[in-house]
Amino acid sequence: MAEKGKMDLEHLGGVVRLREEHEKVVKDCESRIQHWKKVSGDYEALKDRLETLPDQLSYDIMVPFGPLAFMPGKLVHTNEVTVLLGDNWFSKCSAKQAQKIVDHRMSYVTSEIDDLSKTMKNFEARVGLAKDLETMSTTKGEYVEIREDTGNSDTAATKGKQRVAHKPNSKPKLDAVLDLEEEDEENEENEENRNGGSIKGIMSKEELWARLDELEKLEELQDERDRLPDNADINGEDTSSSSSEEEKEGDAAPPVNGLSLKPSWSSVPHSKAPPSGDIKEDDEEEEGSCLPTIYFSHTVEPKKVRINTGKNTTLKFSERKEQKEHSKRKKKNGHNGHSHHELHKITTPADIYRLFVDVKNGEPIPRKSILKSRSRENSVCSDTSESSAADFEERRMIGRSFSHDEATHSDTSDGITEEDSPTTVPLHPASRFEAFSGTVVEKDPMPSAVPHLTIAPPALPTILERKQEEVTPDVAPPQQPPKRVSKFKAARLQHK
Amino acid sequence: MAEAIQKKLKAEVEKYSQMQKDVSKSMASRQKLETQLTENNIVKEEMDLLDSTNTVYKLIGPVLVKQDLDEAKATVAKRLEYINGEIQRYETLLKDMEKKSDQHREVLSSLQQEFQKAQGLAVGKV
Repeated sequence: MAEKGKMDLEHLGGVVRLREEHEKVVKDCESRIQHWKKVSGDYEALKDRLETLPDQLSYDIMVPFGPLAFMPGKLVHTNEVTVLLGDNWFSKCSAKQAQKIVDHRMSYVTSEIDDLSKTMKNFEARVGLAKDLETMSTTKGEYVEIREDTGNSDTAATKGKQRVAHKPNSKPKLDAVLDLEEEDEENEENEENRNGGSIKGIMSKEELWARLDELEKLEELQDERDRLPDNADINGEDTSSSSSEEEKEGDAAPPVNGLSLKPSWSSVPHSKAPPSGDIKEDDEEEEGSCLPTIYFSHTVEPKKVRINTGKNTTLKFSERKEQKEHSKRKKKNGHNGHSHHELHKITTPADIYRLFVDVKNGEPIPRKSILKSRSRENSVCSDTSESSAADFEERRMIGRSFSHDEATHSDTSDGITEEDSPTTVPLHPASRFEAFSGTVVEKDPMPSAVPHLTIAPPALPTILERKQEEVTPDVAPPQQPPKRVSKFKAARLQHK
Repeated sequence: MAEAIQKKLKAEVEKYSQMQKDVSKSMASRQKLETQLTENNIVKEEMDLLDSTNTVYKLIGPVLVKQDLDEAKATVAKRLEYINGEIQRYETLLKDMEKKSDQHREVLSSLQQEFQKAQGLAVGKV
């Protein structure tokens, strides 16, 4: 209240001063008008005199002689006056002309008076306002002041909402995450159903999922048909059914790094958490059932590009995803029907972040740092690129272990983990690995994954192919251009 | 620290007051020009009321010098021109001064703040 009172005082002071200033202006105007009125009266008299002056030829007058004396005199040349025009200009003219000049001056004077009176009125009104303001702020009588404190407007008056930049670590948009989760659940459910046991309690949604699966299948089929021509090239390698591919993976991987793909299988449960791998899985599934080769071309290309660039961007993720995808793939190969919802979701770079969502305790948690993990791997990659493959693998292991932990979390939350994997195991030769702890498994896959680091989520299915290719690097298919023979390959070869 | 700033501040204030003086000076002269302009305008208009039978004088010092009416008119026109030009010149000058004084004001306020800060620091130290 004290402050308010002070403010009021200040405000009051301002108002008072304003009123005073206005009054000053008004007074000034008044005095000036007075002056002009006097002038105008003088001119009026002058005019009268000029009118009567020429009436006679001469006048007897008392001529002022100094300030004290008058002398008798005579006024002659009554029609002849000298007029001061201003600026020291004089002119001799007749009384008539002088009258004209006087009229001209009079008009000027009146205009001046008009102007002054106008401004005076204006300021008088302002004085009245100031007075009202004063009375208002002093006496809370008949006037009530409506005052709204705007406060410090942090939220400046802008149109609409202020836009806030996404924080890098902020949670992904809930809706998108939810969708992904749902998809994951879908997949999980599918897997569960196919496995004959539903680990998760999402049974209520099963019907819905089934419907979705059907639709997805339809879509996939169409997609595959569309892609068939493109994939033909790759088919040579991948034509084998999904199961055969899996076998190949299992077989092929071991020769390269001495580690089989099995770890990927063990990681399967993790894959569920990140939904990214689903799309490919679907494709593979379909491939297994209908046209196995379709997708491989797609996936291969992205990998190549990344490898070639030598940039480690999203390496970790890609690896992880690859693993997950592998696992999922394998699972799905065994089972039919999956959703490739995710495909359409990745329309912008931002979507990629959504894909990298870990599910911890059933809550979506944005991956802390794709970059970080990546950077780590990057360093590794750079080191290992051509020299120390062993170090590279070790580092990989570390990275993997991290990812593994996350994956395990997600697994626990999902409730689908190792149980699923065993079911899928029979399909894949790597089943024995499941017995191992997660970390062990991851280690093994790492080497195999290394070459694929760059695989994008959609490209997931290609991992197996790659491995095969890598195993037989020289025989690289036409699709895999020289790019394939990247640092990783070289490293691997050295490793061998 | 505070003293140096104070010295600076003083110098700046002096400069600023000088500037203000200049501004008011040119303002006054401009006002004078304005009145001259109106006066000359009136003279011109009134000369237009005269005709060739009238004799025109110019008061130069203590004497009235006879002038030709046309000549007088031309002189007045020239004078008007000159006054107009002069007014324009003062206008730009005033604008310039305004800008400069604004800058000075900013400098002054920043200096004042600095000075206050320094004073506060000194007090705190003490």
